Amino acid sequence: MSQARQYELVYIAPPDATDEVLAELQTQVAAVVDRFGGTIDRTEPWGRRRLAYQINHQREGTYVLQVITGPGAMTAELDRRLRVLDAIMRHLIVRVDEDLAVAERAKARRKSATMERRVRRGLPPEPTETELNRRNQEDDDLDGGPDGGFRAGGDR
Amino acid sequence: MSDYEREGRGGGRGGAGKAKDGEKGAKRTFFRRRRLCKFCVEKIDYISYKDVKLLAPFIPERGKIQPRRISGVCATHQRALHTAIKRARHLALVPYVTD
Repeated sequence: MSQARQYELVYIAPPDATDEVLAELQTQVAAVVDRFGGTIDRTEPWGRRRLAYQINHQREGTYVLQVITGPGAMTAELDRRLRVLDAIMRHLIVRVDEDLAVAERAKARRKSATMERRVRRGLPPEPTETELNRRNQEDDDLDGGPDGGFRAGGDR
Repeated sequence: MSDYEREGRGGGRGGAGKAKDGEKGAKRTFFRRRRLCKFCVEKIDYISYKDVKLLAPFIPERGKIQPRRISGVCATHQRALHTAIKRARHLALVPYVTD
């Protein structure tokens, strides 16, 4: 049972890393991913960011996010390699497919529950446009008096 | 007089006649708004470590994770928040401590 799992890989290169260095890092990652028959779904360079604390006496870092699909053994190898590389100050590999699936399911469940409730009340399953407009206006009203529905000390 | 006293006791949540208890009762009934879980209200299913803006309100100045008795976050979401903050800390997106 070969499993393709989705992972997010974020690594931080030193702030003075040139484009060549970054490209080199990417090819190294790609090589490992290839070897395990995985694919890189997305690469998102975040660019230079201030670090919340110093790493290797650096106050800034160049962040790169990559979304990778592949087997679990791949992450072990990636992790090992990235730890050795000097051009990477920090990295993180997180499995995301399960959490995203859970979130997706929760969303779907909520939506179907809403539709069911609406049908039981004899309304069309999807809110009509006029309803949506009215709801937006009501939301605005709520912002004015947020404590409206709450009783003092009601949480005891 | 005795009528008033009895009424007072009833209102004071069965507190003994001592002034100290009366004060405590008064403090308790003081307006305290019920806090709601931000993530439940806004229907946020996945708390990502990348979203620093989302995490920031739950990390007070010192850098510690805010307990849910203060923030009102529900247990499920506090757990997710907890992991997200720890991941963000590792990537230096959020501080471990600030002095």
